Order: sequence, then C-alpha cells, then structure tokens
Amino acid sequence: MWRFLGETMAVFAKDMRCEFRTRVAFNSLALFAVTTLAAVSYTIGPYGIAEADRPYLLGALLWIVVFFAAMAGLDRSFVKEEETHTAPLLRLAARPLVVWGGKLLFNTVTLALLMAILVPLYVVLMGLSVRTPGWFILVLAAGCLALAVTTTIVAAIVARAMSRGALFAVLSVPLLLPLLVFLIQGTRAAIEGRVPDVLAALRAVVSLGGVMTVASAFLFPVVWHD
Amino acid sequence: MRRGVTIRFEGIGKRFGRRVVMRGIAGQARPGSILVLTGPNGSGKSTLLQILAGLIRPTRGEVRYLDGDGEVPREEWRHRIGMAAPALALYEELTAMENLEFCARVRGLEVDGDRLRNGLVAVGLDPDRPTVVGGFSTGMQQRLKLAQAVLHDPDVLLLDEPGANLDPDGQDWLAEFVRGMAEEGRTVVVATNDRDEMTWGTDRVALPG
Repeated sequence: MWRFLGETMAVFAKDMRCEFRTRVAFNSLALFAVTTLAAVSYTIGPYGIAEADRPYLLGALLWIVVFFAAMAGLDRSFVKEEETHTAPLLRLAARPLVVWGGKLLFNTVTLALLMAILVPLYVVLMGLSVRTPGWFILVLAAGCLALAVTTTIVAAIVARAMSRGALFAVLSVPLLLPLLVFLIQGTRAAIEGRVPDVLAALRAVVSLGGVMTVASAFLFPVVWHD
Repeated sequence: MRRGVTIRFEGIGKRFGRRVVMRGIAGQARPGSILVLTGPNGSGKSTLLQILAGLIRPTRGEVRYLDGDGEVPREEWRHRIGMAAPALALYEELTAMENLEFCARVRGLEVDGDRLRNGLVAVGLDPDRPTVVGGFSTGMQQRLKLAQAVLHDPDVLLLDEPGANLDPDGQDWLAEFVRGMAEEGRTVVVATNDRDEMTWGTDRVALPG
C-alpha cells in the first residue's frame, strides 16, 4: 500500500513540477474561468437577476464556469504525455493504477486551486450571499472531486483517440450532465440554507463520484494499454 | 547470478488499419547475446521492438519471456525490461537527475542519490548540470535514455537506433557499453540500420521491406 502511494506521489510530483515550469494546464483553466466569469459578471452582475431567482441561477452559473474551465485544461494531463511521446516511458515504468492515481491527484489539486481563486471572486463579483457557507464549501469540495474523477478517465480515453478536442467534450457531457444537475441543486440549497436538500444532493454527487472512481479503476488499465 | 531471460516471438504480424506493417516474423533473443533486427526504413523494426516490450499488441502471433522458472507473467515484464528508443521520450521540463529520480520512484526503487549520479556519469553526463532536458542536444538525450534504460538493472535491454545522434567517440563508447551489458548476462535486442551496429550481434532477424 505504501509503495503504491509512493509511486502515485511520484507521478503527481512529476506532473506538478512540469506544470509549474510550463503552466499549460493551469493557464488554460484560468483563462477560461476568468473570461467566463468576467463575461457573466459584466452582463448580469450582482443586480441583473431578480432576488427570487438568484440562488438557482447563480448556482447554475457557478458550475457552468467551473465546467468550462475543467473542459479546457484537465485533458492536458494525458494528452500532453501522448503528444510529447513520454506516455510509452510511463507505460513501461509504472503500474497503470499508479498513473491513474497520480493524474487524478494532479487534476484534483489543479481544479481545487482554480476553485479556491474562482469561487471567492464569483461570490464578490456576483454579490452572492450564502446562508450555510459550511455546506456550500462541502458541495464545492465534493463537486471538485467528482469532476476530477470523471475528467481524468475521459482524458485518458481521449488521449488515445485521434480527434481529441471534440471527443473530450462529447464523452464528458453524458457523464458530467447528471453530476452537474445534482451539484447545481446542492449549491442552490446551500445558498438558500435548506440543509436536508443539500444532503440529498451531496448523497447523489458522492454516489456518482464513487461509481465513476470504481469504474475508472477497472477501466483505466484497459484504456492505458490498448 | 543474473537470471537470464529468453525472448521468443513467433508469427508476429501487425497492421495499422489497412496497412500491414509485418507478417509472420519469428525469432529468439538469448541471455548474454545480442539480437540485431535489421531491415529497410518502414519495415517495422521499431514496431517489432515495441511489440517485444509489450507496448504494442501484435495483430497476430505471440511474444513469450522465459526464465529459469518458466514463462514470465506479462505484468512482470516492466521490471525486467530496459528500453531506449526514439518512441520513448524523456520529460523535457525536467533535468537529467530529475528524470532519473522520477523513473526510480515510479518503479518503486529506493532513490539513492549516489546511484543516480553514478548512472549519469556512466553514460558521460554531468549530474550537476542544471539544464532541463529540453535544452540537451539529441546526443545527450540519447545518453540519458540509456541511463534511464539500465537504471533498474534490467535483464532485457531493447535498443532502437541506439547510435543515432552520437558522435564517433560516443558510438565507440556505446558499442562497448552494449557489449558489456550482454557479457553481464542480459538479453539485448538492437533495431538498427547502421552497418557497425549490425556487427554487434551474431543473431539476426531481417525484416522484409
């Protein structure tokens, strides 16, 4: 177990080191997130929505911004390995689950860093007031993990395909759509302070994330080697 | 004493879509010897080497790794194989030491700074060089690939055009290095078009064009 964790951390540390030296994935994520956020806050702003519609629309817009950013940058973790021909070295040296674990950790940390910058900005620019901040953060954390799990396995599949950009979006949509629906419901409930509804949405998000994690762990070795 | 590995491959065929790259290729690489794969450009030498490494599945035929205990399970191949090839690139954003350190960690080896440094010195690279690999010449990258290939003391060494990009002194050093690897009981397979490299081994598989 410790050996597996050590090898996984090696992949994660390598990805972080390479990312800090090139900033390709983080710049793509940040560019999309900031551009979308700026467009939304400029056109809608804090007062462009009626008070009654605010929790639902602001919750939905927040996840749309995060979703677009995730689509823009998280596939890079695998695509870059294929494009720079480092994937065969990784295939030869590392166990498949170690690669998957390291990439998942990298995508989770990247998305978490992005959300740590993006969400406070969104709250300020859109004048969002949250009644239960603790539950709000929990929904964001669960969403971050579930999004990272889903985009990681989709990125692995896409990296092996030829028309990468389009395929990433096409494969992600059916997998991410139910997740986004529950995340938006949970975020809205947290904004309005309806804890039982937050719990129901969280259960759904954790279940979907759990199913995706188990499915990914089984699917990844096949995707990685074939 | 090193447990040698014999690689046996029979009836190997590979097609990419409609294009048939090779058909019915067979051969054997023995411990302590150098098997040379030759053939014109596009004959599939590099593809065959990747099939032998388990990186590509053949469309037909099979590859078996045999040691004293019988057949080596496929999941153990990665511990037994070292490979240097143009298809196996290194991380250009990392230094030579960082590349080797990553390869050691991801293979679950104990990271010993002196061992990594000695590995680089053995292939003629300066371990203290702060330049990332993207700034290396192709010859230096080739030397680093060789250091990476032997880092985990593999039983099998698969080399694709190993002398390409090396200067004449480097090619002399390489010939000695590869012969030394075979003399230590390793199974060495070299895919090459270079006339000098073809003389390294007595076993040969010629791929038709």
